[in-house]
Amino acid sequence: MRRTSAWVWAAAIAAYAFLYVPLVIVVVYSFNDSRLNAEWVGFTLDWYRRLLADDAMLGAAANSLLIAVTASAVSTVLGTMAGFAMYRYRLRLLPLLVLTPIAIPEILMGVSLLIFFVLLNFTLGLVSVALAHVAFCIGFVAIVVRARLAGMDESLTEAARDCGATPWQAFRRVTLPLIMPGVIAGALMAFTLSIDDFVITFFTAGAGTVTLPLQIYSMIKIAVTPEVNAVSTLLMLLTLVLIVVATKVSPSLFRPEEAAP
Amino acid sequence: MAASKRERLAKWTVSGPPLLYLLVFFAAPTLIMVLASFRSPGEFGGLAPFVDEAGKVDLNLESWARFFTEPVFFEIFVKSVWYATLTTLFCLVLAYPLAALIARSPRRYRDLLLLLVILPFWSNFLIRVYAWMIILGPNQALARGVNAVLALFGHAPVPLLFSSFAVLVCLVYVHLPFMVLPLYANLEKHDQALLDAAQDLGANAWQRFWRVTFPLSLPGVYAGAALVFIPALGIFAIPDILGGPEDTLIGNLIKQQFLETRDWPFGSVLSMVLTIAAVALAALAATIGRRGAGGGGVVRA
Amino acid sequence: MRILVALVAALIAVPALAADQLHLYNWNNYISDETIKRFEADCKCDVVQTYYSDNEELLAKLAAGAKGYDVLVPTANAVQALIKGGQLLPLDKSKIPNLKNVDPAYLDTSFDPGNKYSAPYAMSTTIIGYNDVKMKELGLPTDTWAVIFDPKYLEKVKGRVTVLDSANELFAAALKYLGYSANDVDPKHWDEATALIKKARPYWAAFNASSYIKELTVGNIWLVHGYSNDIFQANQDAQAAKRPFHILQGIPKEGAVLAVDNMVIHKSAPRPDLALRFINFMLDGRNSADLTNLIGSGNPNMDAQKYIKPEIKKLPAVFPPKDFQAKLEQLHDLTPAQRRLRNKLWTEIKAGR
Repeated sequence: MRRTSAWVWAAAIAAYAFLYVPLVIVVVYSFNDSRLNAEWVGFTLDWYRRLLADDAMLGAAANSLLIAVTASAVSTVLGTMAGFAMYRYRLRLLPLLVLTPIAIPEILMGVSLLIFFVLLNFTLGLVSVALAHVAFCIGFVAIVVRARLAGMDESLTEAARDCGATPWQAFRRVTLPLIMPGVIAGALMAFTLSIDDFVITFFTAGAGTVTLPLQIYSMIKIAVTPEVNAVSTLLMLLTLVLIVVATKVSPSLFRPEEAAP
Repeated sequence: MAASKRERLAKWTVSGPPLLYLLVFFAAPTLIMVLASFRSPGEFGGLAPFVDEAGKVDLNLESWARFFTEPVFFEIFVKSVWYATLTTLFCLVLAYPLAALIARSPRRYRDLLLLLVILPFWSNFLIRVYAWMIILGPNQALARGVNAVLALFGHAPVPLLFSSFAVLVCLVYVHLPFMVLPLYANLEKHDQALLDAAQDLGANAWQRFWRVTFPLSLPGVYAGAALVFIPALGIFAIPDILGGPEDTLIGNLIKQQFLETRDWPFGSVLSMVLTIAAVALAALAATIGRRGAGGGGVVRA
Repeated sequence: MRILVALVAALIAVPALAADQLHLYNWNNYISDETIKRFEADCKCDVVQTYYSDNEELLAKLAAGAKGYDVLVPTANAVQALIKGGQLLPLDKSKIPNLKNVDPAYLDTSFDPGNKYSAPYAMSTTIIGYNDVKMKELGLPTDTWAVIFDPKYLEKVKGRVTVLDSANELFAAALKYLGYSANDVDPKHWDEATALIKKARPYWAAFNASSYIKELTVGNIWLVHGYSNDIFQANQDAQAAKRPFHILQGIPKEGAVLAVDNMVIHKSAPRPDLALRFINFMLDGRNSADLTNLIGSGNPNMDAQKYIKPEIKKLPAVFPPKDFQAKLEQLHDLTPAQRRLRNKLWTEIKAGR
């Protein structure tokens, strides 16, 4: 059994450190006894206390979570379909429509969606934001799924078809388990994009809709207080817990190849 | 023939829903703004009425002409491409070992390691950038250390914050997971047996990587590169918060057009140039990749 | 699949059926929580707040057709754009008798004669903020724009100065320094201002409108072109952190920009009755004073004076004395052609040419 070379270990640990040093600062500063996120003054639990009494911030966090879960679920389904279709069939329009939302500047997309919703007389609110998020997340999922499919061994699927499986059964029982890491990677990306989106959300949100980024970015010119660090820390923990629970509760969803047939 | 009709049905069933969704919620709104690039800006913001009182339709090429006749926009565009390229390269170098490690870990740790990569990015973007401002601050260890080293060479102290360096570091940081995830998704399916065979044939670690792993991972590399380069091209928040006086990128310009200048047509023009360039570059890379991968038929033994 | 349906249902159901709601679209931290609670008790309604952090964001969103807001709080030049764009509902003066509390110097302005659409809310000036210890050490003046624009002063603070990332504000300061009006639209004068800015640019650390206050408070930046409210707050934070210096406001003798934020009602407001009630409520001295006591904002309300903390009342940037008032100017909105020219100059400045 080969060990992974020491170089890979060292580089990977350096990369993890790069990822986590700022995060450690974020969490540590949520206990900072200063309104500003600029230097350490002293320890306090005040910001957490303030957060738990701050209905507006908590409501915004809940909205963000709700939108992110819905948007990532829908865009993962649609994105997987798109990625599979792009891999399997020769399409011209779909690849373009999938790639362009990633390239297009967010402010253009936000303004255009707002104009579009207003033209349709569609009431702005959480739903309009979720619809907008799905639109730009599909591309990310599709590209990852297609990359996962590239170079996939077709013989397995062909064998399944030879054994009498319908295309849907072949997809669900053979292809899907094989591409599941790609689907999960796509879903994680979509969730991350949605939960932190500001520009598109700003334009498509209704008069009473506040998501966490909207709440936080509006503080940018005054002071982004450690309360924001606190809500971020709690949100991260909550999401981590939710995902760990989800994997325990329905392991077959994430590891279909290990599920009972 | 029944089989090909079923094929076509399958094709539309799979590609139909995403196609329809994107046509309605992306193509239609975007076309509105594409049309806007041929219109005039409104007196107080927004767009001028499409048909004015005289019944004349408002369509012109003013905004497009502006882009092609003022070279400063092209310069900034080139600068943005440069920043995005650097970001992609650094992300690749950092992400590859990380993705490789996760892909080769025992099954039960893989999901957790992957989650750990993406966990920091569920905190808010602003405070992550502020954390970098703290790390790069002039009185902090990093800046002091770098300037001490520079002083040894007789170089004047250099600010780490409010500089291109800060912008790049943050760009790499913010885009790293979008390189790690596609790479991981690809590396995960690599067959260990191939590498063992290569080792048995006498290849050392570097040769195993460069001749076996890397070519097989190219689809993942391209996917990651696309998901980093393209968004990085349009970013504006990072230069706004910790950039220096000359770190204006095309994303900042576009934002200015929609906000301060209230020149939506010109904003549309800049956006479209950016989008077309990004998509064209991605398509180019994909074509090169496909042609290059044709010689990599080593998998089907 | 079922989970998906449930989620979508939750999304649609979440916005509660509005009883009596006032939708306020405001700057963040621009109204104190106690004031809101007092108003909610007074009108027996709910105040739903959403935020923007830039006038232009507000204008862009409304220009694209967004609806559902009752009260907005734009700055004077944005009010001008909104009035000309037909986006506002005229105010029913009979419902806002407290308008008489406002200092006449801030009423009946050129952009809203007779206050048909707007009622002044709060104000700030764009001035110089500085670290008193550092400025004394370096022997720099703090009462003139020269310290931001003149290389002979700038070389002592190279890399420790920031200016606002706003073409309107920076050009206004440059024009004032050159002796012109902040609203001067002569292209030759704009070229002079551009040249001045380009000469000073190498000494500036950044064009920054969002994180400069933090850096000033911490002591990394020593001199800023910024808003009086922010500089006031920075000093509060610096004292709270027991820093060995003060952040003080420098009043430039050449003059400065005055920004008056006004309450207006959007033309498609769902509850104009509640909106008028709110405006009248905020024009009452005690309610108006809350904000000033909270963030040190300027106050155009004469009735509010008696409720404001004495240490804030004596700050010249917050309550400009008559001689400074004469040199303050409110920014006017520009025409599209002017905006384009300014953007061209600004792009050159920001591109490093």
